[in-house]
Amino acid sequence: MRNTSSLVVDRLCDQPGDVAVTVACLYYDFLVQNEQSIADMMGAILKQLIGRGGIPADVREAYQKGKTKLGGRGLLHADLMRMLKIAIGSLPQVFICIDALDECLPRNLLELLQSLRDIALGSPTTRIFLTGRPHVLGAIQRYFTKVVVIPISPNTDDVRNYLHMKLDRDEEPEAMDNDLRADIMKVILDKMSDMCVRASSLPCQSMVNTYGKLCVDSSLLR
Amino acid sequence: MALTTLTQSIKFGDNNINSGNTIGSYNKTVYKSDEDAQIMRWLSPLEPNIRHQGVRTGRFEGIGDWLLETSEFREWREGKGGADKAVLFCSGNQGVGKTYLRYVVGSFEISECS
Repeated sequence: MRNTSSLVVDRLCDQPGDVAVTVACLYYDFLVQNEQSIADMMGAILKQLIGRGGIPADVREAYQKGKTKLGGRGLLHADLMRMLKIAIGSLPQVFICIDALDECLPRNLLELLQSLRDIALGSPTTRIFLTGRPHVLGAIQRYFTKVVVIPISPNTDDVRNYLHMKLDRDEEPEAMDNDLRADIMKVILDKMSDMCVRASSLPCQSMVNTYGKLCVDSSLLR
Repeated sequence: MALTTLTQSIKFGDNNINSGNTIGSYNKTVYKSDEDAQIMRWLSPLEPNIRHQGVRTGRFEGIGDWLLETSEFREWREGKGGADKAVLFCSGNQGVGKTYLRYVVGSFEISECS
């Protein structure tokens, strides 16, 4: 899924158009989920939004006030949301992309979604892209009842592109010819539907363990 | 001068000119001032731009492009539907991307080579 998120982020960044687009992305990670508090995540969105235009006066003022109190006070969620809304309001088009919502701590997930809804209601042009396992859809729908859902699974084009890449990078190109290449593509794509069924029933680690170098010996096709 | 934390960079990498991502060719960020760097760290210690760069570097070219051509994605990107349809959710289990593709090819190799 991270592949998908990064692809979308790059496409949004690179899209042509008259309207200046600002993209902020977040990647949730199960391994460091305790370090990904709501405040830190929303702060990370904010600093991506203001990164290009210089630090806004309200943010600078809040920092200067905060650093003189109690030896330096951190930000509260409400402070961040206020600054975020101001920053978003100053930009013509904002995209917020968040990967792997299912790897967010459950106790933080609803607060994150509530915050995103507040942003969306305050700025109807803001677009929010989310990825995650299917089970987080229910939580998303509590805050965004009309969320558009696209199920992600590799299709024939993905497999074909992957095979092209593997064959192009094969370490023994002299063993390859156009006929063999075509045969490999055909056999694997023909078997793909069967693989889909088998893959869906295997745990992730099993799939990783089955990975190996692509054989180019023509005998494998017989 | 802070060297590694996120914020305004003098050079943006890989045409990501519209992004808040600020990774330059040297993977280093230059601040206008020390205070700017401190403010950015105060806002958040996280640096998702660096994480993004790591993910996109490992991406397979052409994989998942179909998503970008779907009507759902295009309509969402163009802002049709306003706040009601602000959110696009891509739903999938872990391992439906690169892991799956490796599995497809890997299983084929094992079964055919044995």
